[in-house]
Amino acid sequence: MATVSLRHIVKIYPNSGETKKHKITNLKVTEEGVLAVQDFNLEIADQEFIVLVGPSGCGKSTTLRMVAGLEEISKGELYIDDKLMNDVAPKDRDIAMVFQNYALYPHMTVRQNMEFPLKLRKVPKDEIDRAVDQAAEVLGITQYLDRKPKALSGGQRQRVAIGRAIVREPKVLLMDEPLSNLDAKLRNQMRAEIIKLRQRIHATFIYVTHDQTEAMTLGDRIVIMKDGVIQQIGTPQEVYDSPVNMFVAGFIGVPQMNFYDGNLIKSASGKYSVVVDGAEIELSAEKQKNLTDHKVPEQAVTVGVRPEHITLKEVPGKMIKGTVDVSELMGSSVHLHINACGKDGVIIVPTLDLKGNKTFTMGSPIEFTFGGDVAHVFAKESGKNLEFSNDTVQE
Amino acid sequence: MKSSQRSKTTLSVVLGIICIIYVLPMVVVVLNSFKLNTYVKTDTFAIPTGEMWAGFSNFTKGMTFGNYPFAASAGYSVLITVVSTALILLFTSMAAWFIARVDDKVSRIVYYLCVFSMVVPFQMVMFTLSKTADTLKLNTPWTIPVVYLGFGAGLAIFMFVGFVKSIPLEIEEAAAIDGAGPVKTFFLVVLPMLKPTLISVGILEIMWVWNDYLLPYLVLDRTKYMTIPIHIQFLKGSYGTVDLGATMALILLSIIPVIVFYLLCQKHIIKGVAAGAVKG
Ligand SMILES: Nc1ncnc2c1ncn2[C@@H]1O[C@H](COP(=O)(O)OP(=O)(O)OP(=O)(O)O)[C@@H](O)[C@H]1O
Ligand SMILES: [Mg+2]
Repeated sequence: MATVSLRHIVKIYPNSGETKKHKITNLKVTEEGVLAVQDFNLEIADQEFIVLVGPSGCGKSTTLRMVAGLEEISKGELYIDDKLMNDVAPKDRDIAMVFQNYALYPHMTVRQNMEFPLKLRKVPKDEIDRAVDQAAEVLGITQYLDRKPKALSGGQRQRVAIGRAIVREPKVLLMDEPLSNLDAKLRNQMRAEIIKLRQRIHATFIYVTHDQTEAMTLGDRIVIMKDGVIQQIGTPQEVYDSPVNMFVAGFIGVPQMNFYDGNLIKSASGKYSVVVDGAEIELSAEKQKNLTDHKVPEQAVTVGVRPEHITLKEVPGKMIKGTVDVSELMGSSVHLHINACGKDGVIIVPTLDLKGNKTFTMGSPIEFTFGGDVAHVFAKESGKNLEFSNDTVQE
Repeated sequence: MKSSQRSKTTLSVVLGIICIIYVLPMVVVVLNSFKLNTYVKTDTFAIPTGEMWAGFSNFTKGMTFGNYPFAASAGYSVLITVVSTALILLFTSMAAWFIARVDDKVSRIVYYLCVFSMVVPFQMVMFTLSKTADTLKLNTPWTIPVVYLGFGAGLAIFMFVGFVKSIPLEIEEAAAIDGAGPVKTFFLVVLPMLKPTLISVGILEIMWVWNDYLLPYLVLDRTKYMTIPIHIQFLKGSYGTVDLGATMALILLSIIPVIVFYLLCQKHIIKGVAAGAVKG
């Protein structure tokens, strides 16, 4: 049982001479210092799997380290199971952490590494042995128990690090980019193992990554951060379907969402449509409602459409013209890198749809469209999704 | 190809010569310690055979010479060396850990003071030091290690700080999360990782303290305590003449432990004990 609450958490690194002289970060700088994390609010349920994701330097590790107690919380409160943790030492928070560089004790064998937290807690010997053997079994490292870390591969080391974290059954398991030092294949494999692991241990997970695929596949909820500010918190489906701004829209999903300049117009009957390159596409009922609720006026907007939502099917009067740059056959689909409306973008076409059709070569013209249910409408200036916020309202 | 081979040969020859120059005095010591005193001066480089051969008489003479027992000198030497080195290793590794991990003004100042102390020659402070040591009763073999701690700290801290900085901080953070306080983190996690530096510093300090002559000569109460180097120096004295054979024998005795110790430790001086803790 462990819930974790982060309330108005702020991390300020004191200004050093450097940060004052030249502006070296995108982070907000105040008199007090650099704001690495700004007003972080999150209620984590028991045994939930939370993923913090965002580009490098956005404050993910800092947030995690504040939960771990390795970094002081400048402002705000951290509760684990409703107990205030701000001034509690890391060892008394009942948490465990897996580091990106494994941080194994080099002079100890794998078994000694895994025993270490239990020995410090004065757990009886037979219990320690049982816990270590069981964890080793789960992680498939039983045959390496007597080796030193330097005689292990990266993947095996990371298993040991996870083993050391889970042997004492912590309430909260923190992981800071645990897979980013592994090669692609091993990463996929370990990702699957973490999903399996989750079912076997009853901890609350906070997992940091900059890889959106990891975030989407592992997380119950994803927290997307940028420059120390939370952009959006939601389930993978929510952040995929309803990104609150262009940053989230571009960050989640591969290949990236395509963005086109367009206009949001409102018909006499009050129906919203987007116009891109002369093609007028009426938005779906749900989007109509959201926009109407926010009283969004007509305006120039950025229209976002995911590559997988674009279609080549002919719909008279709704086609957008472009040219093909590169065509990549991925197997089940073809990725067409195109240029349309002066912007580069990607279209994913199922291979089946192209059967018998012409193949695309560099420079060949292409026409495409998209449905009113998959178009995302962002404000030009702020990049906010107009369905969920409207700061352009003119009274 | 040719030229690189030639330069390699040249290098080998030069290094060989340097090596001979270094080893020669030792060889001379060994040769002469088994030579009768009268031949030491006349046939310094000769191999002791026939009438020159003294057997172990030089050793017995040296050890029983004068009214101060050689065993006592040796005992004090061992005591001072072991205790001083132990003190230096323990205290400076702890201090270095603090200096390397706590980045504030105080630790920086302490660090620079330590580095500075390395460039101050002993001769500059020796008289004030011996006076102070007398006043503070640091003039016995049991207390002189404190003086050595002070003199050895500079280099040791410098070396330890360099190594600690190369250890990823995450290992200590992992220990903190696993439940170790600062004391346990140091002794169970940091100190074992420092092993290569502990050994290097240990060897340096042992050789220095063991061979040191001036400091114990000035500080120790000579009527009561001697170390091997002082004892050797006292072999001349009384008659005005020096028994070179006996002196050589004692010098040989005093360097054997250091050489044996070095050979024993050599295989432990493995770089990169920390390798494997983090991504290699
Ligand atoms: N001691 C410090 N002093 C000043 N700024 C710092 C300090 N430590 C970190 N920062 C800044 O805080 C910001 C957040 O750092 P953090 O390590 O949390 O990023 P991250 O999201 O984990 O990035 P990455 O994906 O690269 O690990 C960075 O911009 C960094 O420059
Ligand atoms: Mg990080």
